[in-house]
Amino acid sequence: MMDAPLPPLPPQMFTTSAQLLDLTDKKLLVSLRDGRKFIGVLRTWDQYANLVLQNTVERIIVDDMYCDIKRGVFIVRGENVLLLGEIDLDKEDFFPYRLAPHKEVFARQLEVQQEKKRKEKTHKKKLLQLGFETETEVTGL
Amino acid sequence: MLVELKSGETLNGHLVNCDTWMNLTLKEVIQTSPDGDKFFRLSECYVRGNNIKYLRVPDEIIDLVKESQQQHQGGSSGGYQSRGGRGGHQNQRGGGDRGGRGGGGGDRGSHRGGRGGRGRGRGGA
Repeated sequence: MMDAPLPPLPPQMFTTSAQLLDLTDKKLLVSLRDGRKFIGVLRTWDQYANLVLQNTVERIIVDDMYCDIKRGVFIVRGENVLLLGEIDLDKEDFFPYRLAPHKEVFARQLEVQQEKKRKEKTHKKKLLQLGFETETEVTGL
Repeated sequence: MLVELKSGETLNGHLVNCDTWMNLTLKEVIQTSPDGDKFFRLSECYVRGNNIKYLRVPDEIIDLVKESQQQHQGGSSGGYQSRGGRGGHQNQRGGGDRGGRGGGGGDRGSHRGGRGGRGRGRGGA
């Protein structure tokens, strides 16, 4: 199979289809543009890199803590994907963060988000004083 | 099913129809604001596909769809991904006034063409 001469593929094939084909039925980490991370098994996908993940969990990481939330079957619209990659099943148990209760993680996450918002606000204000119109926010969460 | 929009708003409702641009019509929708503090009930709504971030489908639906698909056409080839999206999601509530196609891909309907065969095989696993 491997040594049979393959016809050359158009270059863009290597960055989407060919990659996704390799990743099908593998456990993946998908990072979305809004900063959220999902872990699930890639079951299928299409030409827009819309993905269907099964047994998905959302992993929330704050400071040194993390927690997982079950999300089930998950269909991501391709344009919202920032990056994705296969998870090394041998190494995934050595995740260098501490599994914490949801409550604890959510509380801390809220704090961090509010802190970030405050900073952004002052940043924007400063820029505006200097005559810069800031970009409209793209970050969701 | 649950639809989250790019804005962070979520829509929780029953899928009525969809097309190849991922435009959706939903009914009996609960709309939630991005912060999760405001809720609105909408009897119907239309979502233009480009505003969608992701969709979440309850696991049970997948099984229901599988069943109704077998009933309707004994799992014939093709068709699965291309259209449909009615039967399945209506059956979920016992409705199903337009049975028609097995409606396998209410959710997948939006993933069009091309990879039909493979997607179907693995997805069902």
